[in-house]
Formats: sequence, C-alpha cells, structure tokens
Amino acid sequence: MVPLTRSAGARPTARSAGWGQGVTVTALAILFVFPLAWSGWASVRQPGGFGVAAYQRLFTADNGVQVRHLGNSLLVCALTVVGTLVVATLGGYAFGRFSFPGRDLLFLLTLAILTVPYATILIALYVLLGWLGLADSLVGLSLVLVTFQLPFAVFMMRNSFEAVPRELEESAYVDGCGTFTALTRVLLGAVRPGLVTVSLFAFLSAWNEFFAPLILLNSTDTFTLPLAVVNMRTASYGSIDYAALESGVTFMALPCVVLFLVLQRSYVRGFTSGAVKG
Amino acid sequence: MRAVTGSGPRGRRRAAAGLLYASPTLVMVVTFFVVPLGLVGWMSLHRWPLLGTPTINAPDNYTAATGDSLLRSATWFTVKYTLVVTPLLFCLALAMALLVQHRRRGTGVVRTAFLLPMAVGFASASVLFLGLLSDEIGPVTGALTRLGLVDGYVSWVSGSPGSALGASVVLVLWRFGGFMMLLFLVGLQAIPTEVYEAARLDGASRRQILFRITLPLLRPTLALVLTLIVTGSLLAFDQFWILTRGGPDNSTTSLVMVVYRNAFVRFDLGSAAAVSILLLAGLLAINVVQLGVLRRRSR
Amino acid sequence: MRGPTRARGTRVRAARAAAVAISLVLVTAGCGGGSGEAAPTGDGRSSSATAAVDDGTTLTMWTRAGTEALSRAYVDAYNATHRNQVRLTGYPNEEYPAKLASAAGARALPDLFAADVVFAPQYAAEGLWQDLTDRLATTGLADRLAPGHVRAGTWEGRGYAVPHVIDLSVMFYDRKLFTRAGLDPDKPPVSLGEFAEAARAVGRLGGGVHGTYFGGNCGGCVEFTFWPSVWASGGTVLAPDGRSSTIASRQMADVFSLYRALYQEGVAAPASKDEAGPTWLAALKGGKVGIAPGPSAWLDLIEKAGVDVGVAAIPGLDGGESTFVGGDAVGIGATSAHAAQAWDFVAWTLSDAAQVEVVAKGKGVPVRTDLAVNAYSSADPRLVTINTIAAKGQTPYARNFNASFNDPQSPWLRAVRGALFGDAPAALAEGDAAITASLRQQ
Repeated sequence: MVPLTRSAGARPTARSAGWGQGVTVTALAILFVFPLAWSGWASVRQPGGFGVAAYQRLFTADNGVQVRHLGNSLLVCALTVVGTLVVATLGGYAFGRFSFPGRDLLFLLTLAILTVPYATILIALYVLLGWLGLADSLVGLSLVLVTFQLPFAVFMMRNSFEAVPRELEESAYVDGCGTFTALTRVLLGAVRPGLVTVSLFAFLSAWNEFFAPLILLNSTDTFTLPLAVVNMRTASYGSIDYAALESGVTFMALPCVVLFLVLQRSYVRGFTSGAVKG
Repeated sequence: MRAVTGSGPRGRRRAAAGLLYASPTLVMVVTFFVVPLGLVGWMSLHRWPLLGTPTINAPDNYTAATGDSLLRSATWFTVKYTLVVTPLLFCLALAMALLVQHRRRGTGVVRTAFLLPMAVGFASASVLFLGLLSDEIGPVTGALTRLGLVDGYVSWVSGSPGSALGASVVLVLWRFGGFMMLLFLVGLQAIPTEVYEAARLDGASRRQILFRITLPLLRPTLALVLTLIVTGSLLAFDQFWILTRGGPDNSTTSLVMVVYRNAFVRFDLGSAAAVSILLLAGLLAINVVQLGVLRRRSR
Repeated sequence: MRGPTRARGTRVRAARAAAVAISLVLVTAGCGGGSGEAAPTGDGRSSSATAAVDDGTTLTMWTRAGTEALSRAYVDAYNATHRNQVRLTGYPNEEYPAKLASAAGARALPDLFAADVVFAPQYAAEGLWQDLTDRLATTGLADRLAPGHVRAGTWEGRGYAVPHVIDLSVMFYDRKLFTRAGLDPDKPPVSLGEFAEAARAVGRLGGGVHGTYFGGNCGGCVEFTFWPSVWASGGTVLAPDGRSSTIASRQMADVFSLYRALYQEGVAAPASKDEAGPTWLAALKGGKVGIAPGPSAWLDLIEKAGVDVGVAAIPGLDGGESTFVGGDAVGIGATSAHAAQAWDFVAWTLSDAAQVEVVAKGKGVPVRTDLAVNAYSSADPRLVTINTIAAKGQTPYARNFNASFNDPQSPWLRAVRGALFGDAPAALAEGDAAITASLRQQ
C-alpha cells in the first residue's frame, strides 16, 4: 500500500487519536478477514478433524465442478486478458499519441460504456451473439468481457502512453523505426506497469464474473467456475453440501488472493492513475 | 500531453496509423456496445419470442410493464435497497478511509485486510455468506444463540424480509467496503497537506477539519463513490439471486431479476428489453441529477 | 534521405497495424460463419420423415436432477442395445427451465430434452420441441399413453412431447414413528383430518421428531402435495383451458388452514416455512418426520436411507383420494439436426421392453396405461397402491404454468405464503386475481 502513504505532515493529529481508534481499526480488520478465513476453515473441517473430503466432493459430485469448468474459466481469463491488452494497448497508443478524425468522439464513446452498465444490455448481447454464431461460446463471452473492460483499460493505457516522454519515441524514429516498431520495441516496456494493472483487472473480472456467463452460456460443458459452484447450491438428493460450497469459494478465491497480495501495488495504481475518475 | 497534430503527408499518414490502431477499439465498442444498445431498444418494441420471428407490438411491452405488480414491487424494493445500502456503505467506507489514512504501524496490514474481500468474486462472496449464515454449518446462529440473542432455528436469508435484506446488506458492506475505501483514500491523498496545517494553526478542531476542509475538498470523490454505489445498487442481482432467491415472498426481488425472469421464465425477450430500457432511463436520470446537484454545489 | 525512408516505413507499419485490426474483425466475423447454427429440420414431411434411425449417432439429452435417475435408467438400457448413444446431462431443478429457455434462444437445444410435464404446454406452444404428431401415429400407441402428459405436450392439435417419467404425489409415513406414537402403521389416514391427528400424535413424541413437513417456500412442492387434497374434496384449482385460476375456493382455504394450524402448533417442522425445495428430500429421509406428502419417485431413496416407509394416497378433507400426476415429458429439441435418430430413442422408451423391463422393474410407474399391471407391480403392494392412485389423479394444464405457479417469483407462491403464514383469506383472493392475470399474460 506504499502508493497511498501520506506525508508526515498530518501525523500529530493521527497520533492524538490514540488507542480507541486502534481498537476500532483492529476489530474492523478482523471482521473483514473473518468470512474468508472461516470459509477456508469450513472447507477443510470434517468429522473428527480436518481433511480435503469437501474438495473431493466438490470435484466428484454429479453436479459438482469438473476439471473442464476450470479449463473454461482459464480460457475465458486468457482470452479476456489478451484481448483487453491488445485492444487497449493499440487503442491507448492511438488516443495518447496520434491525432485522427473522430478520436475524441471514439474515446468518449468508449468511456460511455461506464454509464450503461452491461446488465441492462445483456439481453441484446445474448441475441446478438446468437446471430453471430457465438451463442453458448466462451469466445463470445470473452469478447463481451473485453468490451466491458475497455473504458478502464483504454483510459489507463492512454494515460500510460501520455506519461511516456516523447523523446523515447523520437529516438526510436531516429533509429528508423515506424510507429508499430516503436510501440513494440520501446513503448511497451515503458508502459509495462499499466499493462500489468490492466491484466490484473481483466483477470479478476473474468475469473469472478457471474451474471454475463449466466445469460450467455447454457450448457454444462461451457460453464465457468462461478456458474458451476453456484449450481451446487441447488444440490440434488435433497441437501445442500455447504462444506463443498465453501471449498468451491476457497478454491476460487485462492488464486485471486495470491495475485492480489503480490500485485497489490498494481491494483492500487488502477485507482491512483485516475482511471476510475473517468 | 496532446498527440502531435500535423498537416501535410506526414500528418495524414499519422492520422491513418492512429485510426488503424484505434480500429480494434472501434470494432469492439460498436459491435458489443453501440449495436446491443440500439438492439435492446429495438427489441423493446417487439413481441420477441425465444424461437421464431419477432413481430412489432409497440408499445405493448411498456404498457404491460406499467401494470405488472411484480415489476412494481421490484422497483420499490430496488429503490429501498439503494436507499439503505448507499448511506451505510458510503459512511463505512469513508470512516475506514479516515481510520487508515495515516501511515502508522500496522496500517498496511489493516488496509490489506480491508481490501481482501475484493479478491473474492461477488458471486463467490454470496455463496460464502450462504454457508456463513446457514443453520447447518455457519457460526453466526450458534454464536448469537450463546449470547442469548436468538433461540433455536433461524433462517437469516429467507426467514423474514428484514433479515434477508439485512444479510444482503452486510454482504455488500463486506465485499465493497474496501473498494470504496480505496477510492476515498485516493481522494484524500489529493488534498494538499498545507491546507490541514493552516487549519490546525488556526486552532480548528478535528471535527471542524473534517466537515469544513476534508469533506468539501473531497467532493469529486464523494460524487464518484456515490454514483458507483447508487448504480451498483440499482443493478443488484448476484446477492439476491444466490443468497435470497428474491424471497421471502418476493421481498428481495430486484429489477435485474425481473429482466432475467421475463426473458427466461416468461420467454418474453421484448418485455425484458423494455424493463432494461426503463432501468437505463432511470439510471441516466439519476446520474444527471446527481452530477447537476454536485456541480452546482461545487461552484 | 530521412523523409522517404520514414514514409515507406510508416506505410509498412500502417499496413501491419491494419492487418492486426482486420484479423480482429475476421476473428469476429469468422466465428459467425464458422460455428454454424444447427438448422432446424422442420422441412418436408416426406415418407422418410417419420423413420426411426439407429446409425450410431451420438445424441445429447437434458433433464432435471429430480427425475434424472429414471432418465438415466432409460438411457443406459438404450445405449446398451443400440448403435445410437445418448449422452444425458441433468440440471438442478430450479435452474433447468431458465437453462432450457436460454438454450432455445441461442438455438442450442440438445437433440432430446425431458421437462416437467406441467411446463410442457409452454414449450410446445413456444416451439421448443419438434412436431411428433406424424411420428407418433406410426407407433399406434397414442391412445395408450398417460392422457394428462399427452395433453400437456399438445399445442393447437399437434403433439410435441410424449410421457417420459410419471411421478405422483403420495403420502409417506414412517411406520416406526407411527408405532411409537400408538398409531397403527397398517391403517394410514383416509381423510386430511386423520392425517392431521396422526401428525399431532407423532409430533408429541418430541426429541427432534416432528409430525409433518412441507415445502412452505416452494410453489411447486405445495401444488404437488396440497392440490390432490383439494381435488379429492371436489374442488378445482384451474379452469380447464388453463387461463383462469379457481384457487379462491372453500376447499383450498380449508386445506391451507389445516396445514397452517399444524405449522402454528409446531407439529410441522419449523424449517417447513423456509423449505424452497432443495432440502425437501433430506427432511423426508431423515427419519424425523411422522407423515408427509411427497413425490412417489423418492420412495426408493427414502427407503435406502433406512426409513421404514409406508405409502398411502393423499386424502381429501373428508375422505376420497387423489394425486398430482407429475413427472416429465420428452421431445426432440427444435434445433436438433438428428431428429430421426432422436425419434428412435423416444419411440423405444415407449416400447413394452422399456416400460416393463426398465420402468416397472425400477419401481417406477409405466407411462403406458395398458402396462399399469405388469409382472413387477404385483410383487410390491405399495406399487399397486401407487398405480391405483395414478388413475384417480390429475395433471393441471396451463401454458404459463411456470411463471404463474412454480417460479420463485410466481403469484401462487405469494398466495401460498400468505395462506400458510400470513393473512389467509386475503392471500387466496388476491392470489386468485394475480394468478389469472399471470395465466393470461402473453
């Protein structure tokens, strides 16, 4: 959380706040960590101790999670991250470095996606993907997810490109590079932090998304992890296997928690860059 | 920094290159945003079955919407939910941001703890709470029983409209508190330290600093957070779909659930589109009013 | 020197950028043509249009989890004896209707799908199944199939689905708990009043045992188990055309007030109020419930859980008996390209071999009325009970059945909740109007 450190100037007030505040903060922090910690604990607890029985049930139950669902989720994440990176990098480059007719209009249009939450146009997307032959398709789902990452990602990448000193690019031109070679050889390295942030946001959203796949996917074979886990809520044979559900939650949360802890700085950059103030 | 504007062959070539680099964005935005946006409006004017040919029936989908009692109760509930969640989440996030604004020992850990729920998908979080609040495996009922607050069997998510709403609100506070806190922290960081120092030299109390300096200077962030919370609440789906199933007695059926139901239970994509359009219009109106009010006040 | 180089370079680079952009467009467009929609095979009712083909095609089939075991039995037996192979997928009951709908809109329906028989009118009307009229005529079985199911699968004179699984609502009672409560396990209640008294007697045992259990937050569960009592008492729930509700009747009010009293007295387990369906079976097979109505298809599962279970008909208020003839109908998906092969499976499921050696042998109720008495049914007296009850039952018919009665947001569930836990008289009156409005919604 380094990027948000306030300078020492405000300290005296903080110190005077004292002990009551410390207790409040600690209690709140425990409350925030508790559900996730409980979920992990509940997923390994079993009669007479601890074990992975719930995870075994998660992956072997009739309507449980199949390896294929994990594969589907990974594919959607990969397509979404790569798609977002390609489109947003080229787009950010165009918006940040070039002048062309319709530039501002297209940029505004891209940001306008933020004002029209996708939940309201998903019914139309469902019909449209059917027309395109992308019904019940992981590719179709990924294209939709990429589109809804664009406002943030393009804004982020445009800011990143604008922040790169123009001399860097000029030096590439002097070496005889064109705009595309300048991008791949020189600029991509300079905007790498932005790329990491965009990838992280795209991954987290693709991995966790529920409503879009619920509408756009319909056969068990194409389900992503969240759909498969939620499906277990309406368990067959008359009872809900809560332990298996919690193991599903923990299983889905683990990669995100690890990524988040490792890349927290990149995550926070997404906000400090002003991208969300669009 | 602005892009180089040029005239002559070089400028034109650069313009062409820029257009080409922007073309994937253009294709995506047009195909998956502009076209569906138009399509949803077009669909709302039709009787649009799942299979078969749509036929124009305007304005039946809209007139039917006005007489739909489920839609009416869902609208009322969605507004009520928004009115409950918005101040709670707003104040919690602001309080959290103010608490961890200054870097002290352990602040980093605390901030990470606050942000950790962000790593859990909202659908996952809803499933998590389903277990957490269940009688069978969750610790909540047991703990409250020991404290003597409840007695015996309690169904938090479907027992009563109040507890179902409460469970959903707690879930949302947990899941999004850190996220909103982060936005506030970014805004707080942008306030120059000198302003605080000047205020303190003038002998301002902490309360005065908060209400006279911090909050007014934070206005753009407040507006952003408010917009995000209101929009998110009006579109609430996952938590009710998974946690409460809209119950008990439709008491937690949200507008987006009605959209889903019209499309896939009633097989009527046209009326689902009409409800979407109404929802979209409402959202735009609220955001315009909100921005207008905040802009006027900031002048 | 620099100028020209640069210009050429830019052109090349621009071309490369264009290639990237265009290939992206092509990816989008290419997928549009590539994955290809399965063309509906509704064309031409030529001579071969009714043929059944067994040529080794792999067929996809969907069903709901609740009846999956029975579909699975059909499929296993069919796959073992045919070149065609059916791949069966079961979906959770609650998710299934929406899943079917979204697949239909995406023109991605499976080759075969079974559905809750009460939803069949909607699927037939919306064209989710292919027309089976001519094919069924070639079998000569049309008038020997469960009539309620056949009607449900008929729309405007054409048949779209045939009966697949028959599931009846019956009264289950725990013989051991009956004995402990001083009741005669060989004399199950013959009126709803006796049912209530038996439940109260068992409820007095205490120790976590409850008199009865019902799905108080589940429209489908309540209609399946309460309506037979209304029918047996001479009441109705729907107009025959399925466009008007008749739930605001004296019989309906009396049935609800009886269950309402059982809940208020604590005779019905407290969890009955929140039971939305998923944990219904767990409660019935837990050995802690004295007597409760439920689906006959669960007999085997309850028994396997170690409950010494008795089966009786669901009685009316003052005697009489009836049942909700539920279960599944099966048809060929409208977008299937393998209709002839799919028909081979459907036709086989109606054969004597399938109905006797698969359904009856597995303690199921045959969908063929002429096979109600068979080698297996006479071996188990409870099956005789179930098969006799079947003849006295009804299958309600309405095109908007799901949205009006089964869906969690249905007006019926709202009325049920009011009648059981809230303002009972108002609930049925208001529900009656709301259900009629929903039934007529287009």
